[in-house]
Amino acid sequence: MAPSKKKHACSQPCVIPGGFTELPLQFSSDSSAQHRLYVKEHRVRAERSSHRPLDRTLFVLNVPPYCSEGVVKELFSQFGSVQSVELRDHPGSSQESGPKLSKVFKPAAKQGFKVGYVVFQDSSSLKEAKSHPHDEPLVVCTEQRPVRTGVQKWIQQYQQSFIQPDTLQQMVDSFMVEYDKRKEEVAERQRKEAEQQEEEDEGWVKVTRGPKGTKARPHSEAANKRALQKEIKKKKRKELMNFYTWQHRNTQKEHIAELRKKFEEDKQRIALLRAQRKFRPY
Amino acid sequence: MKKKQPVVEDTGEVIDSHEEEDEAPLKAKRSKHEQAGEGGGGGGEEVVYHPVKLSRSDLYRPPSAEELNQLKEAESLFHCSLLKMQMEELLKEVALSERRKQQIDSFVQTVTKLLQAVPDSPEVEVSDLSWLSGAVKVPFLLVPKTTKGKFHMAPPASVDLIGSYPLGTCTKPRVTVDLAVTIPADVLHPKDVVNQRYPRKRALYLAGLAQHLTSSSDIGAMSYSCLHGNRLRPVLLLTPPGKESSSFTVRVHACPPPGFFKPNRFHPQRNNVRTEWYTGLQTSMSEGSEPPTPHYNSSVLGDLLPRAHLQFLSAVSSQCSAFADGVALLKVWLRQRELDQGTGCFNGFLASMLLTYLLTTHRISNTMTAYQLLRNSLNFLATTDLTVNGISLARDPDCTAPALAEFHNAFQVVFVDPSGHLNMCADMTACTYKQLQHEASVSMQFWDDPTVDGFHSLLMTPKPMIRTSDHVFQLCELVKLQSSCKKLNLLSELMDHSGNYVHTALPYILSLLQRGLGERIHLLTHSLSPDPEWSVESEAPKHKAQPPLSFGLLLKPELATSVLERGPPADSPKAAEFRELWGSRSELRRFQDGGITEAVLWDGQSMCQKQLVPKQIITHLLQLHADVPESCVRYVGVKVDDVIITGSEVPSTGEEESLRVVQSYDDLSRKLWRLEGLPLSITAVQGAHPALRYTQVFPPLPLKLDYSFFVREKISRSLVPKEDKPCPAYVTPITVICHMEGSGKWPHDRLAIRHIRAAFHIRLGELLKKHHNYPCKPCPTHLDVWKDGLLFRVQVAYHREPQVLRESVNAEGLLVVRDNEEAQALEMATNYKPLLTSTLHGLQQQHQCFGAVCRLAKRWLGAQLFSEDITEDTADLLVASLFLQPAPFTPPGSPQVGFLRFLRLLASFDWRNTPLIVNLNNQLTGKQSVDARNSHIVSRSWSLFLAHTADMSSSHVTDRLCVCVSVQMLHRVVMLAAESLKVLENQLMDGSQMQDVRVVMRPPLDAYDVLIHLNPKQVPLLSQAVDPPAVTFSRGVMDGNVAHSGGAMPVVDYNPVSLYLAELRDSFGDLALFFCDPYGGTVIAVLWNPKAFVPLPFKTSQVSARRVEVTGEEAKTVPNVEAILEDFRNMGKGLVKSVEARTEKCT
Repeated sequence: MAPSKKKHACSQPCVIPGGFTELPLQFSSDSSAQHRLYVKEHRVRAERSSHRPLDRTLFVLNVPPYCSEGVVKELFSQFGSVQSVELRDHPGSSQESGPKLSKVFKPAAKQGFKVGYVVFQDSSSLKEAKSHPHDEPLVVCTEQRPVRTGVQKWIQQYQQSFIQPDTLQQMVDSFMVEYDKRKEEVAERQRKEAEQQEEEDEGWVKVTRGPKGTKARPHSEAANKRALQKEIKKKKRKELMNFYTWQHRNTQKEHIAELRKKFEEDKQRIALLRAQRKFRPY
Repeated sequence: MKKKQPVVEDTGEVIDSHEEEDEAPLKAKRSKHEQAGEGGGGGGEEVVYHPVKLSRSDLYRPPSAEELNQLKEAESLFHCSLLKMQMEELLKEVALSERRKQQIDSFVQTVTKLLQAVPDSPEVEVSDLSWLSGAVKVPFLLVPKTTKGKFHMAPPASVDLIGSYPLGTCTKPRVTVDLAVTIPADVLHPKDVVNQRYPRKRALYLAGLAQHLTSSSDIGAMSYSCLHGNRLRPVLLLTPPGKESSSFTVRVHACPPPGFFKPNRFHPQRNNVRTEWYTGLQTSMSEGSEPPTPHYNSSVLGDLLPRAHLQFLSAVSSQCSAFADGVALLKVWLRQRELDQGTGCFNGFLASMLLTYLLTTHRISNTMTAYQLLRNSLNFLATTDLTVNGISLARDPDCTAPALAEFHNAFQVVFVDPSGHLNMCADMTACTYKQLQHEASVSMQFWDDPTVDGFHSLLMTPKPMIRTSDHVFQLCELVKLQSSCKKLNLLSELMDHSGNYVHTALPYILSLLQRGLGERIHLLTHSLSPDPEWSVESEAPKHKAQPPLSFGLLLKPELATSVLERGPPADSPKAAEFRELWGSRSELRRFQDGGITEAVLWDGQSMCQKQLVPKQIITHLLQLHADVPESCVRYVGVKVDDVIITGSEVPSTGEEESLRVVQSYDDLSRKLWRLEGLPLSITAVQGAHPALRYTQVFPPLPLKLDYSFFVREKISRSLVPKEDKPCPAYVTPITVICHMEGSGKWPHDRLAIRHIRAAFHIRLGELLKKHHNYPCKPCPTHLDVWKDGLLFRVQVAYHREPQVLRESVNAEGLLVVRDNEEAQALEMATNYKPLLTSTLHGLQQQHQCFGAVCRLAKRWLGAQLFSEDITEDTADLLVASLFLQPAPFTPPGSPQVGFLRFLRLLASFDWRNTPLIVNLNNQLTGKQSVDARNSHIVSRSWSLFLAHTADMSSSHVTDRLCVCVSVQMLHRVVMLAAESLKVLENQLMDGSQMQDVRVVMRPPLDAYDVLIHLNPKQVPLLSQAVDPPAVTFSRGVMDGNVAHSGGAMPVVDYNPVSLYLAELRDSFGDLALFFCDPYGGTVIAVLWNPKAFVPLPFKTSQVSARRVEVTGEEAKTVPNVEAILEDFRNMGKGLVKSVEARTEKCT
């Protein structure tokens, strides 16, 4: 491996261009190879989020798949007490929208290398972490804190995948109650808007053509398209196609042009196949 | 996932733009030849298709009369002008070049000059061979040894070109030029016809010529052969010296002077070989009672007429301009079907004669094109049975010529030459002609089908026997046929064939087998024994020295596997005949319908044993009637099936197991339908798993579990694997889609629908548990039901859900419908997969062996580590295409032939230029398929493009139904398929090679960078491995009857290997590709992605599993290989045995 790195003085942090500090990490104490974590204080201009306070959040790159949030939390506790850890597939602002879902209803998460946002209790921990000496690797799996991988992990996962039907039913029920509530709210709001509209119209009623249903014409793309198609069809029906001599002549011309085009296409295709020697029978 | 991979051929669009200017001047003079030259002129490998853009003025310019004609012809005669042009190109490929013709002419001149200078030799007895130097042997089997007569060498009376070369119908490859050398009249005697005197003198004369030519340096290699395997008609093969030696062969025939023998001596009823002379025994037969020798007669007569035939052919062909091209096409057609060489073949000469027959009888006209000639002659062959109604070219035969009926008595196939004396199809067996007829009618069937690539099927696809016939067997020790001749009492026929016991016995064996196999087969074919070729210094090879005779069976699948052969009632007169045919195997049996009949019962319980019923019949009949021991019969019908055989007591290839799964599923579906107390009713229950269409490689077996092997989870009554035990047996979840009624009650929101579905799963589970006592486990996404020792995974579906997923409201408040991956995946799972399953299930009902072919194909794909790239559905569709568009074959009738054709499809299909269209349920019309083909040409972004028409009405057809595989992967698939096919076919057709079909299932691992060896203990499907391991592990399964309901929930869908693979792909998918045989593979092969190893600039989004290397101010990242290898070990703890880095590359 790159010997250049070994030249760094002992017990000194390794800082690479871009402001990241390299933290070595190995799976267990007897591992021979190390992954490198790249850490930096979290600094984003646009974001003013409460759960990633700028002065206390450490941005960690290249977190291996076997490091869960709990493991990362413990790993970084040596620099100071950790308030929260967030692991994500890609760096970026956090967007949590929509109703809260229980874990079982979310699609399975990807289990790959992650980026992490470690929020410390104290902003001094950041400095501590960044000045961690280069030759003291973080160890993921220790005697006190065994990390399960492989068969052990899969069996555990399998065990955890059981959900009691009752619990599941409860989750569904509570979600649906909330959903209904939300729907009602929306309906309520719409009704209010309509009322307001009516008030603005001061009692005037708009009279439109056609049955009542058309008033509430679906406001969608498909409907717009359908209407357009109808118009075109109507127009076409009125046209006489085979009335004048020139029309007849034109169709004949079109036919020949079509044949020519096909002929030309076929010729090209043959040329292509010939170039690939596709005509050798044996 | 693969879509992201860059496609090499995408350069098309780039070049396109500036190509347009170049084309403008070309278009100005649109002559056909010009552009033809243009395409080839590029010369480069990467020729790209540019969509044609004709300018407006070009398209609408007034047409000339000639152009109009051309276009009209193309429109009316061909489906498109494409076929016509393709044929023209093909003809260019097979035609002899001018340069080659000059070479031939000059070589023929040299040979002629040399032959004219043959020195005279003194007259000796025929049996005296002392005048020949030892270096040259006589090309003749001298049995019996002596014959009367005198012989001396003399210069030939004339040397002339005959056959296809002077006629202009000679084609590449294997160019042979026939040269007739006339033996001077004083060497022969008119009485020489008798007792092989003339054929022996002819052979001596050839030996004399050979002796003279050995000294010449103008001749390259020299060897003997014989015409169409007829030992009475040896020929001398000469090749030019130097490097052109393999480009053509001159075949020297020795002929008597024209008219030397009287043709009426060769009447098929006359005898020309005396029994007394042949057997060497005194007999008291007079000449009148001697047996006729039609084959001997026709072979001598054949020598007398070649010049006359040439004259006749050239006279007729000169009137028809397309004659030579027509013959060339017919020859290509015959050659692809292996009918054009060997004993009793339908060679080019017969093809020309057939065309002249059609011309003289005005079935085709002189002005027709080559395409029409081919079509008409195939049509004629398909409709005319020459074994019953022979045809004759003789216009006004003289009174001595035999009548057609007399020919029919002596020969099986009759096609009489212009002289009226010679049957040109004398050696052909009825089976060969039937094969020819079958091929012609198959060709006529698909010719007009616009969904089939007619040109390819017709002329470009080779049809070797192993890939054409459903079952093939070989007679190995041909010397045993000698005793068959004795047993069948064929002495006079043996004399007629001058001792060639193979050809003597063949027709009788064929008719015997035909009788025995009867209704079980469509067609019985046999290989044509190739012309022997031996050097001039060695003796003529014995009759037994030819390769084994192969026989092909085209089975009727519905009857071929029946174990019962029911004969006539015991008291009918036919019973004796039946008993005579079957010998001791025939027994009187009483049937349920009350009849008491003769019957033969063959062995066979499972489908794969029943496949071998034809083998039992064949070996029994040959043993009984022809004295051919069983050891001589090499039956290669079901050799490949080995790799998917399961079952310890009764070997089975999975038909029975699949049936059990389907029956259990049917029961479940009935029970689901009948459930009461659901808020909405069930509208459809559909299977969506390969096991439910008979195509699962190893169908799930009903399991009885040993509870002590597991940890028991008390609350949900489920089992959990123990850490210290081997991985438990894998329980395959069989997906079943359960469509619920649409209703206003369904919410119109994706998350809400997801929750409602979960509620349905819970409810269904409760009901099934209550009414039928099935252990159930509901999850948000599915409901697992444990039934009959099988696990069904029921998924509730709501038909409007994909639509809901697609809809969204944009910023202007307009409701827009946009396709997205989630909706597609859901539609795939809930609509498309069940549809595919039911359609393919239907296909299985039509073609019994469809499922078995799929299983073999998928086993191969799995073993060669392609399962990830070519999914199960794709593989099933590829196999389905073999059954739906079998042209030029018939649908496969045995798993083996289907598998061979699958390999051939992978290896030879033109994936680059054409889409493979699978026309399920025949929904695609011709126009649509042509359109699909064209649109593919234009887009050209897929390399393995598979369109099929389960759902043509929807607008997203192409998006959803295409399967694409990256170019690199496809290359590898094609390469390995070709190699496997070669190895397998050689092995199957050659009994002397090592017989191990598993060779093609062992993937070459040397191309991979890292191998991860797995601990067999934790591989649950270990017993399905290609080479089943010696050690087996207890996997918590007990023998015994499976309970239908109740019990604890088993460990479902727990396979450490696939979990590990998923984890690896998630983590390192960008850096490497991971390959594994899903059927018990114990090795994961890893291939680094070379692109990932190029140092990249440091970016926060691409540092996963990489480390930074700093050079100056620049930070580059490279993959941290050591740590990754360490991760392989850590992430698969307990499963991984060792990680073997095989290449230093990238480290």
